Amino acid sequence: MTVTASSSSLGSKIINVGMGQTAVGDKEAVFTSVLGSCIGIVLWHPHLGMGAIAHVVLPDSHGQNGQPGKFADTAVPYLIRQLADIGCPRTGLVAKIAGGACMFRGGGPLQIGDDNIAATRTILRQHGIAITAEDVGGTSGRKITFECATGRLVVEVAGQTVRVL
Amino acid sequence: MNPTTIHRVEVLRPLFAAATHEASAAMCRWTDGVISLTLDDICELPLEEVTAELGFSDDFMTMVVLGIESEPGTVLILTFDEENARQLAATLTRRQRNTTPEWDELEISALTETGNILGCAYVNALTRLTGQILIPSPPYFVRDYFASVLEQALVEQAMSSDTALLCRTGFHREGENLNWHVLFIPSKSLREKLERSVASVSHDRARR
Repeated sequence: MTVTASSSSLGSKIINVGMGQTAVGDKEAVFTSVLGSCIGIVLWHPHLGMGAIAHVVLPDSHGQNGQPGKFADTAVPYLIRQLADIGCPRTGLVAKIAGGACMFRGGGPLQIGDDNIAATRTILRQHGIAITAEDVGGTSGRKITFECATGRLVVEVAGQTVRVL
Repeated sequence: MNPTTIHRVEVLRPLFAAATHEASAAMCRWTDGVISLTLDDICELPLEEVTAELGFSDDFMTMVVLGIESEPGTVLILTFDEENARQLAATLTRRQRNTTPEWDELEISALTETGNILGCAYVNALTRLTGQILIPSPPYFVRDYFASVLEQALVEQAMSSDTALLCRTGFHREGENLNWHVLFIPSKSLREKLERSVASVSHDRARR
């Protein structure tokens, strides 16, 4: 499911983006998400103030149908199309990424954070989109907030200083 | 949620209720009869709605997480808010409640052991009731965003499905609800095995 936020319809409403979801919006849009091993991929056009986000769960769709935002390889082209649909060209897009933690310090349930990071970097490179900032890896969860107007990606990790990318 | 999904969830309710009952007995022994558990809900949800539906998606929680070694992707998460977690640790260690931000080794040990006792009782009940050999992993103590931990727990399900089954249990102390929960999230494989076991038991009963 993609949520579209525009200044005319939603004002500066904050949109929470759950697992596998995507959102797209203009400069009034603010996206937020909580990440563990998942990756938040933000595409942003600095001149137009338009942006999109995917809460990616897994690195590779292996051709599966389903939510495009769930997989790194399908999320990026999907976000590019969603941005094009609201008048945002691919040229000039930059990316910011966060997440990909190895929760439980490498033990416990299946660890996929590192694979998500690697797949995200690869797919962005294949689409010619530069990563201008990232906060990835580690062993802690993150709460991220992205403002389309400014391009600020705020990363909160419990017990640590808030980082602004 | 479609009717088929609701039906399948209801099929498992007696099994999880029995496991909850045994975990409750173990918790009563561990806490000198102060704490008890009741099965709140078994539901199948779209992945993207799971954390929001549970109501504390970006809350910072104290958790003890156990996997099932023979069933990768199956996870049991014991969650507390900070106040309740600290209070339980103080009760179990017979000390004053710790007011420093950092958790000390004794507090962590008390909470981890609580998760271990509860998780083993729960999982052993499922083993006894279904004949599936389920061995809990060592418990992990985690303090983090609830949603971050939950999404890690759901990765395995996400590989094969856009939905997840969650079994949610609440805690009570002398009749009052506590802000503690147990989430049991079976893998797709275990869920199918549990459903087959329940169906087999029902079939045997019908034949008698």
